[in-house]
Amino acid sequence: MLLEVKDLFVNAGEKEILKGINLKINAGEIHVIMGPNGSGKTTTANAILNNPLYQKKSGEIIFEGENINNLKTDEIARRGIFMSFQLPEEIPGVSVTNFLKYAKGKVTGKPVKIFEFKNELKKYMDELKMNPKNMDRSLNVGFSGGEKKKNEILQLLVLNPKLAILDETDSGLDVDAIKTVSKGIEMFKTNENSVLIITHNTKILHSLKPDYVHVLVDGKIVKTGDASLAKEIEENGYEKYKN
Amino acid sequence: MKKTNIDEINRNIYDIKNKDIYDYKSKKGLTKEIIEEISKQKSDPDWMREFRLKALETYNKLELPTWGPDISELNMNDISIYVRPKSKLNNSWEDVPDDIKKTFDNLGIPEAEKKSLAGVGAQYDSEVVYHSMKEDLIKQGVIYTDMETAVKEYPDIVKKYFMKCVPVYDHKFVALHGAVWSGGSFVYVPKGVKVDIPLQSYFRLNSPESGQFEHTLIIVDEGASLHFIEGCSAPKYNKVNLHAGCVELYVKENAYLRYSTIENWSKNMLNLNTKKAIVEKNGQIDWVTGSFGSKISMLYPMSILNGEGSKTEFTGISFAGKGQNLDNGFKVVHNAPNTSSVVNAKSISKNGGKCTYRSLVRINEDAKNSKSSVSCESLMLDDISISDTIPTNDIRNDEVEFSHEAKIGKISDKTIFYLMSRGLSEEDAKAMIVRGFAYPISKELPVEYAVEMNNLINLELEGAIG
Amino acid sequence: MEILKLNETPVRTSRNFNINNIKLENVKIPEVVKNFTNVKIKNETDKIKIDSNLDELFLNYGVGNIFVEQVKKIANKKLKITIDTKIKKEVFIDFTLDEENNNLIDNIEIIANENSKATIYLKYESKISAFHNGVLKVIAKENSNIDVVIVNLLSSSTNNFLSVENEILDNAKVNFVIVDFGGNASITNLYSNIIGNEAENNINTIYLGKDNQLKDINYICDLKGKKSNVNIEVQGALKDSAKKHFKGTIDFKRGCKKSKGNENEFCMLLSDKAKSLALPMLLCSEEDVEGNHSSSAGKIGEKQLFYIMSRGFELKEAMKLIVRANFNNIIETIKNDEIKNRILYEIDTILD
Repeated sequence: MLLEVKDLFVNAGEKEILKGINLKINAGEIHVIMGPNGSGKTTTANAILNNPLYQKKSGEIIFEGENINNLKTDEIARRGIFMSFQLPEEIPGVSVTNFLKYAKGKVTGKPVKIFEFKNELKKYMDELKMNPKNMDRSLNVGFSGGEKKKNEILQLLVLNPKLAILDETDSGLDVDAIKTVSKGIEMFKTNENSVLIITHNTKILHSLKPDYVHVLVDGKIVKTGDASLAKEIEENGYEKYKN
Repeated sequence: MKKTNIDEINRNIYDIKNKDIYDYKSKKGLTKEIIEEISKQKSDPDWMREFRLKALETYNKLELPTWGPDISELNMNDISIYVRPKSKLNNSWEDVPDDIKKTFDNLGIPEAEKKSLAGVGAQYDSEVVYHSMKEDLIKQGVIYTDMETAVKEYPDIVKKYFMKCVPVYDHKFVALHGAVWSGGSFVYVPKGVKVDIPLQSYFRLNSPESGQFEHTLIIVDEGASLHFIEGCSAPKYNKVNLHAGCVELYVKENAYLRYSTIENWSKNMLNLNTKKAIVEKNGQIDWVTGSFGSKISMLYPMSILNGEGSKTEFTGISFAGKGQNLDNGFKVVHNAPNTSSVVNAKSISKNGGKCTYRSLVRINEDAKNSKSSVSCESLMLDDISISDTIPTNDIRNDEVEFSHEAKIGKISDKTIFYLMSRGLSEEDAKAMIVRGFAYPISKELPVEYAVEMNNLINLELEGAIG
Repeated sequence: MEILKLNETPVRTSRNFNINNIKLENVKIPEVVKNFTNVKIKNETDKIKIDSNLDELFLNYGVGNIFVEQVKKIANKKLKITIDTKIKKEVFIDFTLDEENNNLIDNIEIIANENSKATIYLKYESKISAFHNGVLKVIAKENSNIDVVIVNLLSSSTNNFLSVENEILDNAKVNFVIVDFGGNASITNLYSNIIGNEAENNINTIYLGKDNQLKDINYICDLKGKKSNVNIEVQGALKDSAKKHFKGTIDFKRGCKKSKGNENEFCMLLSDKAKSLALPMLLCSEEDVEGNHSSSAGKIGEKQLFYIMSRGFELKEAMKLIVRANFNNIIETIKNDEIKNRILYEIDTILD
């Protein structure tokens, strides 16, 4: 088992958001968490990465057999969990290349060879149809919504984690951009690593085949099924899962 | 990245003290007799001796600033205003005495000269000990020498320009400078000559309880261009040292001058420096300033745009840590039509340090169709530090586009979380954000200085964050 | 005659910048004044008490000592307005300075008790040459919400001195709208002491200057409470040889965590002799805050003018339209139509 979430309760400030989440992800699997706005999807991702803005009240997060509840975010990242942000932060004065080179050094614990690294970066950027000029621009500064999302997938490819959590990676993208992003995720995916897709729509699932689909409503997973569950929600919405 | 940089640089290079060995050190204090004695020691021409004595009278009449940091701890009776090192002026490093040469070796000056500079001047305490410039510039008529030599060899030019841009009555410490100035650089770039590689003067104050009062006078003639770099440092002593230099820059028609400074005085220094540029038609002066050292700094470079179509840009950063009060900024006066100014100022306060951005933008009646845009950003790294923004905007005609923006804030928790999710520790994340914040300034500096500045930032962040 | 130095900034800058204070010469300050009788008070509710039993509240700043002292000693109109509950009806206080009442020295206290809410209009008007020196102190207690609209329509031969202070406690909110059109020299000082947590202060000012009018505006806002908020918005236009000095200070005091302060100032210059001097200060001794200020000056955009004139407006009308458009956001916050229309009328008259 790669990741196990056991009976997780999480607050954001005073407000209780997650009310007992259970989740098991094995190596090689693609999971999807779907749910209406405000159901706790983003909170789930942030809780796994231990964002200090969210407080775990009870429950456990086990990664590769070890409780990571209280690890710092960077330690979690170095163990192999990556999160693609819904709203990536802008960092003025730090170029995409320098940032990724530095982060890769941190995550792999090895010095990064500049020439190889730049080639790798260029290859991925081509695949993601990113403007090569973006390599030298400040991280996410002045990037369009689509460019920011592609940049998140670029980071995913470069950092090559064991578990990728993709928070609303498809939101706000047009049809072509969704295809490109899906292609990036396919490039990343192997039999050893896993993906957890968090989304409130199903467009991205047309090209990615999930093994499990979980429906999250009001801080609880109310149903788990296979890919057909996503299809059913696409047709009927969440109405029947709400109280 | 941070760790390796820390290994590469050693703060101690700035702090290495040589023994206080000198050829002559004036009695502490500031009297007519002391000024006369210095003038004699320096073999001033008569006009300069009289100039000094008049400036002293002005000094005694003027009062201390009624604003800004408290400088009441400064007592001129505790300060030796003239310290002549045991070295003559040399044009070969071989001839510079060993202990002094070692100081500049440690600071990397001779090496930078070989790699990336067209000329170097090096001052140790009150006198310049080394001056040299590349042969081809000499052939093109460029003059780069110490100020004392200029007074003797180019009296007509010096008399015409010396303390005309910055008159002695400007403020008390300019008057002081007029009375006690010593050392500094003189540069003349003839019409049409483009000096592609920078010239650099480095000022080192080694002697305790003393002052440095170098005078830099640069004339960039019509259509010429120059990049001039100034660096300064001193080892730390327990009692205050005083720096009251003066920089006068004349940028003629269609000329260009970039004036870069990395100020890294020790944290017992009172840095009360004055810098001013007069710019003629279609000329341009650009200032790039990194301010890291000093206990107290009051420094506001000023551009006077006298010629139609003249321009100025100011790019500066201040970084105040424990016990530092850096009151820095910029002044610009638009006196002619179609002039423009752009200001990009940043500051970082941590560990109880205080940064103030103080400025003046004045667009006078005749400066029709002029533009000015100012942007200030301040970063607070903790809740015991202070950051103030005090800009004065004086607009005296309607045909202008003027805008000023300022922001104060801290590093956002969201940004830190984002970087940590990519494997960076909290300290690394903060250091990266701060370096990024400073990047628009550091990228304007010559490469080796940009590296030095990043290293200084890393050093300053050590222990401050966590 | 003595030179008065007034409206000092809380922090000094270089004297050569001429903005630490305003120097006035030849100001006639009356030494003896009779009772001021030409005041109309429209108060349709008994939930607001208006009397003259002042608490004599302490003033921290003020325009200048001489004027603050004068109000203390010889004020000829004293009003204490006490608000106990939430009131929808507005209170109007109109001062008209005339031959009989040519000196107004007023001392006004507004006390908004816990959970109260009200709107107070103070209008100062004169056609003759007169003198006004006023002090206004506003105390907003917990959860109160108070709107104060101050309208200066004094004649351009009247000197106007106004010292305002407010104290805002937890969850309370004070909104000022200050319309500064009149006066020869019009000197306004406003000190906002934002003590409470989640307290809020909005200061919206519009000014117009013509002939040799001088506006000297000095706002000092201290943020002390946590999650407190201050917004300063100043919009103005100057024609002829009018001058404006704007000094706006937002001071984040240590402990005001998660507070925000914004300051925005824009001066439209309608003549090449008009002068705008500004000092928008941000002082900060607290880390976890957000502070922004912006200040700009210039003439009306030529493209904008051209566009409007291409629709058949003559130059002067087009200028009026643009000035009104810039003032609109602030004017719209005034709920009373009569006052609003009066302000629009005055803009048209002054810019004619």
